Amino acid sequence: MQFIKEGLLKVDPGLLLWTVITFLILLLILWKAAWKPIVEALDSRAEKIRGDIENAEKSRQEAEKILNQHREMMANARSESAQIISKGREEAEKIKNDIVDKANSESKAIAERAKKEIEMVKEKALTDLKAEVVMLSTEIAAKIINKNINADDQKSLVNEALNKIRTVQ
Amino acid sequence: MIRLVQVFNTLIQSGGEKGEESMYDVVMHHLTDHAITTGFIGKINIQIESLIGGKLFGIFDMRITRWVLMMWLALFLCVIIFIPVARSIKKSTMGSKSRWINMWESLIGFVHDEIVEPNFDHKYIRKAMPYFSSVFFFILFCNLLGLIPGLSTATGNLAVTAGMASFTFLLMILVGMVKQGPLWIFTGIVPHGIPFVMYFLLWPIEIAGLIIKPFALTVRLFANMTAGHIVIIIFIYLVMMFQNYFVGIGSIAGSLMIYMLELLVAFIQAYIFATLSAMFIGSSMHAH
Repeated sequence: MQFIKEGLLKVDPGLLLWTVITFLILLLILWKAAWKPIVEALDSRAEKIRGDIENAEKSRQEAEKILNQHREMMANARSESAQIISKGREEAEKIKNDIVDKANSESKAIAERAKKEIEMVKEKALTDLKAEVVMLSTEIAAKIINKNINADDQKSLVNEALNKIRTVQ
Repeated sequence: MIRLVQVFNTLIQSGGEKGEESMYDVVMHHLTDHAITTGFIGKINIQIESLIGGKLFGIFDMRITRWVLMMWLALFLCVIIFIPVARSIKKSTMGSKSRWINMWESLIGFVHDEIVEPNFDHKYIRKAMPYFSSVFFFILFCNLLGLIPGLSTATGNLAVTAGMASFTFLLMILVGMVKQGPLWIFTGIVPHGIPFVMYFLLWPIEIAGLIIKPFALTVRLFANMTAGHIVIIIFIYLVMMFQNYFVGIGSIAGSLMIYMLELLVAFIQAYIFATLSAMFIGSSMHAH
């Protein structure tokens, strides 16, 4: 057992006791002053981080839900607006067609009326003309009858006529 | 194993010429412990010796040695680092911006996630954290202090690692007794559902396992920390052995490489010691 008392493999009981004492002192000091607060702080931090991650996950899911709702609403609004626009366009088309039809029929009516009026005026003018022609012919006939009465009368008629022309001139 | 050590000793004692330090002397000087006899500590040591009358209870030589000072340095570093870190972590609830604080916090998180959490039930994690953090950081600091030139590796000594492993041993038994009743040592460590006769065969094996586990912890940490240092020292000793500057290029490069490896080993061994302790103590919380 010489190698235990001397050399590289020596086990010195004093040193062993010193090791035990030193380590016990270290354990006592650090247990109270370091490890306990560190472990507590790290544990509470881990707890807090776990809670934060859970909360974040929850908020993320909520946000996703809201986003989906929004997307749906947007899609709805888009289709609705498209519907409104197409409806409006249809209506406008209809109104346009109506207006054009109405204008067409009105213009036709106006043209009809104008034609009728023209017809009426023409008839009236024709009747007037006829009356005038009758009067003129009776006048001419009377004059012709007058001339046949005597030469003097004829002469005076001619003069009268000449005078009339002169005055006209 | 004793034979192996003797062969090793004669092998390295043969190096070196007359009047010079042999390789054995150099290695032993760097890797073994001696009570300090000079300076302020030397005076304290004389006081301690006279106070307890030589050795405490006849076996404990309580004089302060280089290794004891190294452990105190590690203790001091742990205290001045972790108490302000704890205060800062407690103060800033959403995490500190300081890299220094975050570095230690991530290491503490490493202890929590990799060492304590896989081996303990959820409700015991908070109770187990302080012990395993202390083990991890104390051993880590001892390991790393040994890599600073001029300082020594406290964990490269069987007495120190045995002291640390004895805590694991005691806790294994204590936790078993508290969690599974005082007769745990007779019932709890043998697997259930075996034939009655097998019990008498398995019980001694399990008891032997209970003792071998901390012993393995002791030797693993000691051997890993010592081996690297021996290799570093021998690489540098090559220069003295060959008396040649050119050897220096290779030996310095070699020792630098081993040094880098040792940085990794320092961390890995602290992790392994703490995680195996957690595994052993955690396994005595439940019956097999």
